[in-house]
Amino acid sequence: MWSDEQGSASRRFFYSAVFWLLVPGLIGLFLATFLYVPSFYDNLPLVVKPYLSFGRLRPTHVNIMIFGWLSQAYAGAILFILPRLTRTRLYSERLAHVNWWLWNLMMVGAAITLPLGLTQGREYAEMIWPLDLLAVLNWGLLAVNIWVTVMRRREPKIYVSLWNFMAATIVFIPVYMVGTKIWDPGGAYTGMTDNIVNYFYVHNLFNSWFTTAGVGLALYLLPKLTGKPLYSHRLALWGLWSVWAGQHHQLYSAAPDWLEYLTVVFSILAVVPTTAFIVNFFMTMRGSWNRVRDDVALRFLATGAIFWGLTCVQGVAQSFRTFSLLVHFTNWTVGHSHLAFVADYTFWAFALIYVMVPQLAHRPLHSRKLMEWHYWLITLGMTLFMAALWIAGVIQGLDWMSGRIPFLETVQAMHPLFGARLLGGLMAGAGVLCFVYNIWQTARRPQTAPAVALVGGGGE
Amino acid sequence: MRTSLFYLTSVSLASLLLGIIVTIIIPAEEPIGPSPLARPYTAQEARGRDIYKREGCHYCHTQQVRGPEANKGMIHQPGDIGPESAPGDYYYQSPVFWGTERQGPDLTHVASRQGLGNNKAWHILHLRNPRAVSPGSLMPSYDYLSPEELDALAVYLLTLK
Repeated sequence: MWSDEQGSASRRFFYSAVFWLLVPGLIGLFLATFLYVPSFYDNLPLVVKPYLSFGRLRPTHVNIMIFGWLSQAYAGAILFILPRLTRTRLYSERLAHVNWWLWNLMMVGAAITLPLGLTQGREYAEMIWPLDLLAVLNWGLLAVNIWVTVMRRREPKIYVSLWNFMAATIVFIPVYMVGTKIWDPGGAYTGMTDNIVNYFYVHNLFNSWFTTAGVGLALYLLPKLTGKPLYSHRLALWGLWSVWAGQHHQLYSAAPDWLEYLTVVFSILAVVPTTAFIVNFFMTMRGSWNRVRDDVALRFLATGAIFWGLTCVQGVAQSFRTFSLLVHFTNWTVGHSHLAFVADYTFWAFALIYVMVPQLAHRPLHSRKLMEWHYWLITLGMTLFMAALWIAGVIQGLDWMSGRIPFLETVQAMHPLFGARLLGGLMAGAGVLCFVYNIWQTARRPQTAPAVALVGGGGE
Repeated sequence: MRTSLFYLTSVSLASLLLGIIVTIIIPAEEPIGPSPLARPYTAQEARGRDIYKREGCHYCHTQQVRGPEANKGMIHQPGDIGPESAPGDYYYQSPVFWGTERQGPDLTHVASRQGLGNNKAWHILHLRNPRAVSPGSLMPSYDYLSPEELDALAVYLLTLK
């Protein structure tokens, strides 16, 4: 339970992340089916209807996706990387196990309370107060392991990934505390301020945790898989000024105009670190594209980076008032958030897991063929899914701004596109099943001889 | 190396702190009183608002009308989305339900829509079986709410003028 074996906590984080991925996946398919055929929900037995209602499952889907799957995959990868980049043992494997138990306690809590309708009612900050406290504790424990291991390192140089992990934890913890009003069990501010703080938090959850730590993870894996050093080490940390850009989530709102202009300026400034990362990534990739054919992990990493670039282009475009006016509130936004959380960060997490889990489990990956199926199903599925929603969003935006079409007709016009989204979601879901089955079979197979480096890259 | 760790920590935290001051605290200090549309809630209205939160209505219905669409956007009649939202409209609300998605129509001024949104009986009928009232609607049916809960929710919706 509290093993001191090196890598044991990292392995556990990966396994539980893979388990939790199934939950938002299934909920997502359920909700996509509902939006395509709403009458299917009407006919469910009355006893289960409250817990399967769209407004309760939607936050369950989001919270488990980002905190149960993605954040645990991040934690597993960070714990894997720390000893390798510092050339020392992890500060405390036991602490990491405590961290793992508490993290999963938080997720079980979220999976029970959110469908029960116990919520703080603020997007991405829905978890009730006790779970908020657990979240702060969890990121705190992870931060202790990161910071103390780096302090005790035997490698004099601090590689860029470590900088990113440290910056991510130190910024994200206060962001979470302010964002969820941690000192108040109600967890909400009053009036306009509540919305301003909510989107300060949402933006920085993305910016300081998923992007800063995620870029660190990608920049660790890339040289490993291509066998080439990073193109440039003088890479700026993900723009610190992006902390200021939260209000671009609510343009033309009742918040002060000067705040909107300010946040647009800072959003445009974010082009600088974004471009730096993209240039660095693709200059390092140069000459290695032939490896993508055989190495599915590298293919996931590179595809994720391409989608990441698209996320940033969309993000800057959406922070212009004119474009925001057209697509905000439409299904475009749903497409954009799936681009960020599924097509980039999740794709990077797949790459990390395919490389790290066989090493941690001391056995080769169960099936290469399933990896290929996983890649093609989820890449094509998500492309269809997102394209359908972007088209849907532009149609909705134009319809609404015309001021001549009854709202209900603009909803009905979504039907074929929601069908395409469901189809894309089913393909992605089938891909995820290939992935989960493959990892499960890898984990349960009897331990064999030293792991064959099936996917390239790997340990020191 | 200790110095650069110190540098990293202090620059990160300073940037964050400045961001909090400029983008949260200064806007919060603007003197905004309640607008004519703002209202302190009665016990039953507050109960209805809690049900609105519990059921996650705000994931599909926004409560903010942006300037360029004000009095122009169409729900049933051209322009019936209503006037632009002002900061003071939200004076008594915690949390606010501005929202980011419109799978359903904006509800800021739902109770000003004659013959539909301003009618409590219509709301209860619509909540229990949305597709009987609005064919093609994507709203879940809230027939699992008790009559008392439906009543409170409808009473809350009638405050959105």
